[in-house]
Amino acid sequence: MPLTGLMTEALLLGVSSGPVCLASCTPVLIPVLAAEQKSPRGTGALLAQFLGGRLAGYLGFACLAWLLGLSLQLQPRAHALTYGLADLGLAIFLAGYALAMRARPAASCGQPCPAARARLFTQRYRSFAPVTLGFVSGLTLCPPFVAAGVRAAESGGLAHSLLFFLWFFFGTSIWFAPSVGLGLLRRFAAVGVVARLTLFLLAAYYGYLALIVLGKVVLHA
Amino acid sequence: MPDRVLPTPRRSIRKSLLLTLPILLWSLLMFSRTLIEPGRPAKLAAAATLVFMVALFFQMMRTLETNRWRRYFFVALGFLFPVGFIWQLFALRGSMSIPVERMLSGDTPFCFLAIPMMILPAAIAGTVIFPGSILPTASNPHAIAAMVALWFAATLVLGKGWCSYGCFFGGIEEGFAAIPKKPRIRRLDPRWRWMPWAVLAAIVLLSAATLEPVYCMWLCPFKAVTEYPAVRSFETAVQMGIFITLFLGLVVVLPLLTKKRTQCSFLCPFGAFQSIFNKTGAFDIRLDQSKCTPCVLCEKACPTMSITPEAVRSGKPLMSCMKCGACVDACVRDAAVWHIKGTEVGASSERARLMCLYSAWAFAVMFGGSIIAGTLEKLFGLVV
Repeated sequence: MPLTGLMTEALLLGVSSGPVCLASCTPVLIPVLAAEQKSPRGTGALLAQFLGGRLAGYLGFACLAWLLGLSLQLQPRAHALTYGLADLGLAIFLAGYALAMRARPAASCGQPCPAARARLFTQRYRSFAPVTLGFVSGLTLCPPFVAAGVRAAESGGLAHSLLFFLWFFFGTSIWFAPSVGLGLLRRFAAVGVVARLTLFLLAAYYGYLALIVLGKVVLHA
Repeated sequence: MPDRVLPTPRRSIRKSLLLTLPILLWSLLMFSRTLIEPGRPAKLAAAATLVFMVALFFQMMRTLETNRWRRYFFVALGFLFPVGFIWQLFALRGSMSIPVERMLSGDTPFCFLAIPMMILPAAIAGTVIFPGSILPTASNPHAIAAMVALWFAATLVLGKGWCSYGCFFGGIEEGFAAIPKKPRIRRLDPRWRWMPWAVLAAIVLLSAATLEPVYCMWLCPFKAVTEYPAVRSFETAVQMGIFITLFLGLVVVLPLLTKKRTQCSFLCPFGAFQSIFNKTGAFDIRLDQSKCTPCVLCEKACPTMSITPEAVRSGKPLMSCMKCGACVDACVRDAAVWHIKGTEVGASSERARLMCLYSAWAFAVMFGGSIIAGTLEKLFGLVV
């Protein structure tokens, strides 16, 4: 298939299946953007980080899709293991993120003390969170993503596979742009509290899903 | 305890009867079909419900108190609904559990709690994510369209008043909360008030992602007293465990300890969703600062912790107010008043109460009254 045809197909697949991708990612994305309570510009920056992480997840998966061909589709155990580990990672990270959001920055004493170290860790954790969560979301096998994965695996070579996923990513990302509007809610302090509580609930949900899936993998090993 | 500064007012019997007349006529209209139908249990049940509902409204008019009489209806609804529902389930399939195959065939009676979860999937995927039928069928008369239309009509007028006059679950915890004379736990962290919003956000987002009614599957405490998925796997056993724990904790134990509607205050996502419609509803409660002394009687009386010192300062309860009228009844200085939006605060509180109560009670007779009558018919059928 010519390169332009492949790119167009990937872009159209991304645009047409974007709402489903959006629905798959919003449980993680929306609470994170709402909890940070940044201005629309700051929220846009966070969204860009999330999407960057998601792109990395996509491209990583593209490499896998090319390496494994369709074998990933055909092995239920590998499939379940990927799902379970992604959910577990997501649960742990979400819970940690919610706790980091809750922690108040300690007053700086200028000396290397446990409080300063904890503050530094919390700040770093928070700054990496959108990228990391985007990456883990990129690994979650939502139906359009699996469809893109199968098509990418058939596309011929690693470069084609990566290109296909890149354009698929651009197509889906259009649907995420309106979430920048969450920045307009930053003047409501309650939105931040609700978003942090939501992060805990989501962590519990994904943690439970991971336990169920991984439990089944272990039991059927 | 502050002294009552105003004498307990009472309306004359004649005027109270006159004010009750519209509700009597409405109730007769609602139950007319059942009253002329053959079968003594149905007739008796309809007559008993009619008398019950009209008598409560008369008492509201006579005593000028709202919450005390509303609560009798609401608790009766809360306890009779599960009885009638479980009865029906046993008659249909001999068990409270619903097998997956029955769910897939769309045989699940629709519950209004699923409404907030349905919006995003319907908009994104054009899918109704509830295993029920959209239009009534012979095997499932509790159709989605009918319940949504009924809910929407009531919500437009009453806002979150649905939770005081329509919800057939809230009465259970209100009943338990009414048992103790004094609360054993008086102080609850106010931050928990945001939890229903978090649950709402989580279930709406997860339902859109999974195209499943996540709350119904994982968090609804009332599954314990209605219909639950048949326990056939570890997953369904965990679901059942969650339902029972939440029911015992939030609907039984905490209301007994706090005298509050704790499930409504700390979990119910539908209540949070319904709060949004308090902005569009015609009626609300206002707190007149010029008459208010910091006696906190209204704060203690509010079953959902919607009155805080900040709320008093702002002149109105939080948007979680359910218009039960407990604060107005408790206020000894007439500082808490019923209000029609767009009118002067305190100028015609009783008129506002009447307008709100006519709407609310007409809905209560039609919706809750039919549920009460349905269960009473089954119970009377045992003895008549």
